[in-house]
Amino acid sequence: METTIVLAALKLVGYGLGAIGPGIGIGIACYGACVGTARQPELAGRLFTNFIIGAALAEALALLGFVLVFIV
Amino acid sequence: MEGTNPIEMLNEEVPHLQASFDSAFLIEFGNTGFGITQYMAYAILVFIVVLAVVFGVGRKLTLVPNSKFVNMVEYGYQMVRNSIGEGTIGHGYKKHIPLLATLFFFILISNFIGLIPGAKAATGSLQINWALSIVAFVYFNYWGVKAHGGWGYIKSIAPSGLPLPMVPVIWVFEFVSLVIRVLTLAVRLYGNMFAGHMALGVFALFATSFLTATINGATVAFGGLSIVWLLFEIFMYALETLVAFLQAYVFTILTAVYISLATSSH
Repeated sequence: METTIVLAALKLVGYGLGAIGPGIGIGIACYGACVGTARQPELAGRLFTNFIIGAALAEALALLGFVLVFIV
Repeated sequence: MEGTNPIEMLNEEVPHLQASFDSAFLIEFGNTGFGITQYMAYAILVFIVVLAVVFGVGRKLTLVPNSKFVNMVEYGYQMVRNSIGEGTIGHGYKKHIPLLATLFFFILISNFIGLIPGAKAATGSLQINWALSIVAFVYFNYWGVKAHGGWGYIKSIAPSGLPLPMVPVIWVFEFVSLVIRVLTLAVRLYGNMFAGHMALGVFALFATSFLTATINGATVAFGGLSIVWLLFEIFMYALETLVAFLQAYVFTILTAVYISLATSSH
């Protein structure tokens, strides 16, 4: 009983740790997109598309952690 | 006194909330293991709504839109075609628009149906999201093979212009990130919808259980907290409305990006 609770808690801690990196990454990507749009507003559409792609790639890591919580 | 501890009430209620998200069978065909879950029922509802909207609007198309509803649906289609299709895929985007528009409207309407209190989003179940992402995955690989040929597509996974010893290493990395797309597409949508609705449910339970505790004779401060939770709930609901649109948009634009990555010559 004790071990199960500890394991469940550790899974959540692991997911939290795994979400740090993607969080920082998406933050930097969003920063870059905002700065780029402020400097060249006419490129906003393409910058936003690139931001979505970069955010999706970074987010993949957090999603892997989310899946691991369920399957391990 | 009975029922004055809101945390105890929460401990009782949260398992019920979790159980309401289970994809248990509503109707099971005998003992075969086949049946209709609540999410399948909602998916069928979404199909009907999408078909009704598209056929209803398609019959009323005029050169100059004269009804607000027709104009709105046309605007959505135009956004998929211009911003997602043309902006991302570029040349030869027109043949991919039917799939992209179908995905967009299916996910969008499913997410919005999930926002109705008491209803569930069809995209809030992992199984339906697997189906959607496998459709997208098979589609962009099919077009990639069609554009480059079988062996050419396998080679084009690694970007060209690399030094020769690096090619196998980069190829393996790129291949893993290609295969993992089917997982990330499904889990991103599932995680966003499921977690959002769970948070909405938990905040609603917080508000009700604190209010019930006040009515049953606990301190009035709990009533004040209940109002704070209600404000949080309204804020989360607004955020979920944004997420519902954004996830449909992200799913569609990522499918478009994957199609353009698969078909473009590096």
